[in-house]
Amino acid sequence: MNRRRLRRLLIVGSALVASGCSSLGVKPWQRDILAREDMQLDSESLDNAIDDHLYFSKEASSGGRSFAGGGCGCN
Amino acid sequence: MQLKGRPAVVRRGLIAASCALLGSSGARGQEAVTSGGGAETDGGQIDWLFDSALAYYHENGRVQAIEPVVNIRIDDGVGESINFNLTYDSLSGSSPNGALPSNKPQTFASPSGKSLSAAPHTYTSASGQTSVESAPIYTTSPGQLPVDPKYHDQRLAVGGSWQMPWSRLTRASIGGKVSYEHDFLSLAANASIAHDFNQKNTTLSLGINGEGDAVRPIGGAPLPASDYALFEKTGTKSKNGAGMLLGLTQVMNRRWLSELNLSVDRFTGYLNDPYKIISVIDTIGDTTGYLYEKRPDERTRKSVYLENRVAWSRASAALSLRYMTDDWQIHSDTAQFRVRWWTAGHDQYWEPTVRWYRQTAADFYTPWISSAATPTLLYASADARLGAFNALTYGLKYAFKLEDALDQPGSEFSVRLEYYQQTFFDKMPAPAALQGLDLYPGLRAILLQVGFSY
Repeated sequence: MNRRRLRRLLIVGSALVASGCSSLGVKPWQRDILAREDMQLDSESLDNAIDDHLYFSKEASSGGRSFAGGGCGCN
Repeated sequence: MQLKGRPAVVRRGLIAASCALLGSSGARGQEAVTSGGGAETDGGQIDWLFDSALAYYHENGRVQAIEPVVNIRIDDGVGESINFNLTYDSLSGSSPNGALPSNKPQTFASPSGKSLSAAPHTYTSASGQTSVESAPIYTTSPGQLPVDPKYHDQRLAVGGSWQMPWSRLTRASIGGKVSYEHDFLSLAANASIAHDFNQKNTTLSLGINGEGDAVRPIGGAPLPASDYALFEKTGTKSKNGAGMLLGLTQVMNRRWLSELNLSVDRFTGYLNDPYKIISVIDTIGDTTGYLYEKRPDERTRKSVYLENRVAWSRASAALSLRYMTDDWQIHSDTAQFRVRWWTAGHDQYWEPTVRWYRQTAADFYTPWISSAATPTLLYASADARLGAFNALTYGLKYAFKLEDALDQPGSEFSVRLEYYQQTFFDKMPAPAALQGLDLYPGLRAILLQVGFSY
């Protein structure tokens, strides 16, 4: 795939994502439920950190939610 | 909803991005949710959030660990925040060394700088006292999985991050982390930027990270694929890594939030586990010796991560899916589902969790090596973590709010219990002498955690 085709694909893809996303969402005054603690993507950060360290040391995959690195000589 | 509180008091509320616990997440799309109309701190007011946990981890007949974790966040109320976190691990027990069980006793040396054949040494201290130190040898009984019975380790990790507004719709974050073990040192740094679109319903984020590790095994790093009995060790080694993460967060509707992350990272250098060996067996399955493992010196991983959260009046649910692949031919799928049920007073909740994980084996994973194949050995590892297995986690968390008792919004006490189990598949047929032995013992573990936020 040449560079021009890749650029076109990126532009079309970005336009599709942008148009799709623009039809979604809420108004600022409709964020009461989304603002709840349990709707925050990082509300279980401590639990996730402890779990991720367990999985990091026992499995071959890590990360995804955030960066996979971070140091541990166990794997 | 505006959370009110005294100056300089803790308000947990809806603070986003406290995941900087690992100093690695950086700016994320979550701000799109909270900054558009959720909780906002008062400008110019410094708020503190203290989050802590103590975890106890226990494997069946193997390692146990105690891990206290503390995370402190300081928020200035106008979009700038600093995170600081501290993690300490203390591990002890028995750790598999990679060798197979056998119908005969097997003798190994703990990693201590002495070879298997080292004779006891006599030491004389400065005060003139003498002592005899034997070689750290242990013997595994017939039929038992070889484990180093005196495994112990401590880890201290310190991390921090600084998140700041870049413009009205853009914010940036930088962070770093140091992790120290007596045989391992890791330094990591990261930076990220996030931009809001579509009335802050859409957020795009981009993060990069870099990591440099020093691997300093006890007794030196073994020469990959060298004979275990020859004790060919070469001191300290290093490995380095870099990664990138592209994230899209989208508010779908009033009750539904979605996040999609694409990530790639690449590590190079000494990627072996310096304490893992492989049994070499003859045609009938009798062990004739051991080799240190040898992994490729580079690895590139790619992953796709999707998380969806949905809320109702007294409940919420989170489903996360991850697919990961690497050039070691490991492919993994992960699905985790978590539901939180609040009591009528919204001051307590129960949170059951289930996680399913499946990975294929690395293309060089092998539980044993045939003695006929050793001259042509390219890469090999018997590390079970590189094998093919399924894993299931069941968990339950209970928490109650202490806001009224402590007069601190967001204060919480929690207890969490998890059970984790690995089951191997794609097992190789065992030679005659290994028939009846448990060559793939799997893993069962429990995790108990108490947490306190203030």
